[in-house]
Amino acid sequence: MEQLAIHNYLHSFFTLNKCKIEENVNGKLTVQLTEELDRLLMNRPFYWEYIKKMGQEGTPATLTFVSNPKYKDTDGEWIHFGSPRLHQIFRSQLEQGKYTLVYEQAREAPLKPWLVVNISISYKGRQKKEELLSIGLQLINGTMVLDFMEKLKPLQFSNMISDYCFTISPIIRIPSAYKRIENYVKEYIQEQDHSWAEDANRHFEKEKDILEHFYKTYLENATAEEKEELTNRFESERKDLEKRLLPEVDISVINGGLFYISDSSSSKIVH
Amino acid sequence: MELKINFDQPFIEEFNERLHDNGPFRSYEMFQLAYETAKTLAVPQFEGLQSPKHLPHMEFLQHQIECAEQVVQDMNGRAILADEVGLGKTIEAGLILKEYMIRGLAKKVLILVPASLVNQWVKELHEKFYIPAIAQKKAYMWEQYDVVVSSLDTAKRPPHRDIVLNQEYDFVIIDEAHKLKNHKTKNYHFVNSLKKTYCLLLTATPVQNQLSDIFNLVTILKPGYLGSYEEFSNTFGNKRTALKQDEKLKQLVQNVMVRNRRQDTGVHWTKRKIETVWIDFTKEEQAFYDKLDNDLLSKDTFTAITLKRELCSSREACYMSLKKMFEENEEKYTNKAWGEQMIEQIGQLPHHSKALKVIEILKQKPNEKFIIFTEYRATQFYLQWMLQQNGISSVPFRGGFKRSKKDWMTQLFKNHAQVLIATEAGGEGINLQFCNNMIHYDLPWNPMRLEQRIGRIHRFGQKEDVNIYYLAIRNTIDEHLVSMLYEKINLFERVIGELDTILQSLNIDNLETEIKEIFAESATPGEARIKMENLTAVFQNQLESQEVTEDGTASYS
Repeated sequence: MEQLAIHNYLHSFFTLNKCKIEENVNGKLTVQLTEELDRLLMNRPFYWEYIKKMGQEGTPATLTFVSNPKYKDTDGEWIHFGSPRLHQIFRSQLEQGKYTLVYEQAREAPLKPWLVVNISISYKGRQKKEELLSIGLQLINGTMVLDFMEKLKPLQFSNMISDYCFTISPIIRIPSAYKRIENYVKEYIQEQDHSWAEDANRHFEKEKDILEHFYKTYLENATAEEKEELTNRFESERKDLEKRLLPEVDISVINGGLFYISDSSSSKIVH
Repeated sequence: MELKINFDQPFIEEFNERLHDNGPFRSYEMFQLAYETAKTLAVPQFEGLQSPKHLPHMEFLQHQIECAEQVVQDMNGRAILADEVGLGKTIEAGLILKEYMIRGLAKKVLILVPASLVNQWVKELHEKFYIPAIAQKKAYMWEQYDVVVSSLDTAKRPPHRDIVLNQEYDFVIIDEAHKLKNHKTKNYHFVNSLKKTYCLLLTATPVQNQLSDIFNLVTILKPGYLGSYEEFSNTFGNKRTALKQDEKLKQLVQNVMVRNRRQDTGVHWTKRKIETVWIDFTKEEQAFYDKLDNDLLSKDTFTAITLKRELCSSREACYMSLKKMFEENEEKYTNKAWGEQMIEQIGQLPHHSKALKVIEILKQKPNEKFIIFTEYRATQFYLQWMLQQNGISSVPFRGGFKRSKKDWMTQLFKNHAQVLIATEAGGEGINLQFCNNMIHYDLPWNPMRLEQRIGRIHRFGQKEDVNIYYLAIRNTIDEHLVSMLYEKINLFERVIGELDTILQSLNIDNLETEIKEIFAESATPGEARIKMENLTAVFQNQLESQEVTEDGTASYS
């Protein structure tokens, strides 16, 4: 993430969280936190507990973030991609933006429901990599569209339905729609190149053979008591090895929501 | 092939519930920003290191980056990091750990280091790597915190032991792992029993005494990789030299160990300026020394050596031993009068010539910081008092200090005092790059210890040339040591790590014992000299032959 992108990201984050932006120049951002964000970022629960007991409002902190090297020597927190502060904000954002239910800001139109699920697939072998999928599934006719978040970008959404619009109830139930997405993802994964997994598996088998041979040699000459300990040790080592080298794919949901979208926008999305 | 696929289930249940309860739901913008966040954090490829991108304030050296890549990509996260002292094993370990944390492979982390290094590790992980490590202080911390730094001695003791062995660690780092070379020890057994996925063992001396050292270390990482012990020793014997002579073993070890040598790193090092300072005893001191020599040598040679070495350090050190000796073994020393006489005489000696010399050296550079190393507590006290009498500020440092006290003393030294006086145990684990003068008040007989001492200041981060003074008293046991062993083979000038290799190839387990035996078993000073000369010759020989096959010694790096 470039420094400019970080600045813009922070600006969006604090604006969305209803903080007052006090200064916003090229790479320097000063914000007055809300109480909610202060509790989240400042790590001072005792202050808030005390102030509330005293029946007072409390003053949320004001923070300055510097992302432009030009201002590095001025007051403020120097922020870059590795900053613990930025990652704290990332975590909070991921937590907060998990579920949504929104309506397209359309004019006098019926809105059809889409289930949108953003998915992270992690491929874990000798190393790990991740892939994101953004999938939308129309809940009337079952159309599935990939790269959905990108395609939503031209549209406007709100948590409130606009006047003269109305929603059409889903025909496909949410859990079964989710099941369809899940099956699609599984198929998608099966179709990928699996050489990474085969490579990890080869390493796993090789190390497992070595491990088995090693313990077998010792077990042959062990007393009953030693045998038990050796067997336990072997089991534990094998588990460690599985965790380290056995290929695995983990699928987790980043976030998901129900989107009501007009037919005209839907057809642009589908084509 | 059949792939194991795990699907995150809780999402859809929670979402359904929210639909029933009409929320809470976040805005589209919030939702979108969360997705963008996930995109930013995702690592889309297997290859390459992510960690340097997260640490823009750090300047990593080429060999450190390469080491991290090698461990992550080729060694699957289990390795021995065996760089020579001062090349930044901690940095390499931090880089690797960070990489696994960024990729979400390491969450629960255990770092076991010598007690004196715990705070330093915590500090470096925070400042250099933004890893929120904590120093273990209470038993509940093992479970409560994700990244815990502790000493091995604490972790292996009850009540901690059972708690620690119950955790499933994603990542374990053991610093100074040569302490695990013996598979019969509790340390070894404990580390071997840890549940761990990835594991790094850090040591500058992967093979200290015998080839089985490396076998034991590798067996912690990959049991069976070098076969059973019997298979291993049948194939490779137990000579250290096998590690660089046996091609097959070399190859095997290369797959689990990274070893960078100083000369391979291509980094500019500041110079070491060595000065041996010769001192003459005063008449009184010399007379007392000779008397010790004459009266004791035939009766109890080892004691004689100990007392003489102590007298070369301070009256106090020698006095303490004498007194203890007589108190504990009254029946053995029938000649009580002799003892009383000696004790009385030692009390009347003037100020120690070496101590006076130290004052002289310190006063020549009143604005520079110095570290003084001595082997004896009594000398440490004496020097502290002497310096104070001369208006020179100093702080003491000992291995027995608690962690917090060590940190405090280091800070005091950095900010307020001119001199730090350390005993041997203080040699390991403190980094004092802000100081570039070191006085070896007495010489250790084990040159490896000397290297460790110097390594405290001559390491990365040292900006100045380093001045090192060796103090030696003429016509004493000091002289033999310095003129033979140290000067003839230029031991002082040699770079760190080279010595390690020489000792290994000579199969000398413990140089100190070797020298002690020479002195003890020789009937006359002349005989001792000849034996020392022989030892020196062996060294010289080895050095010459090594220079010819220089690449051979480095070849398991």
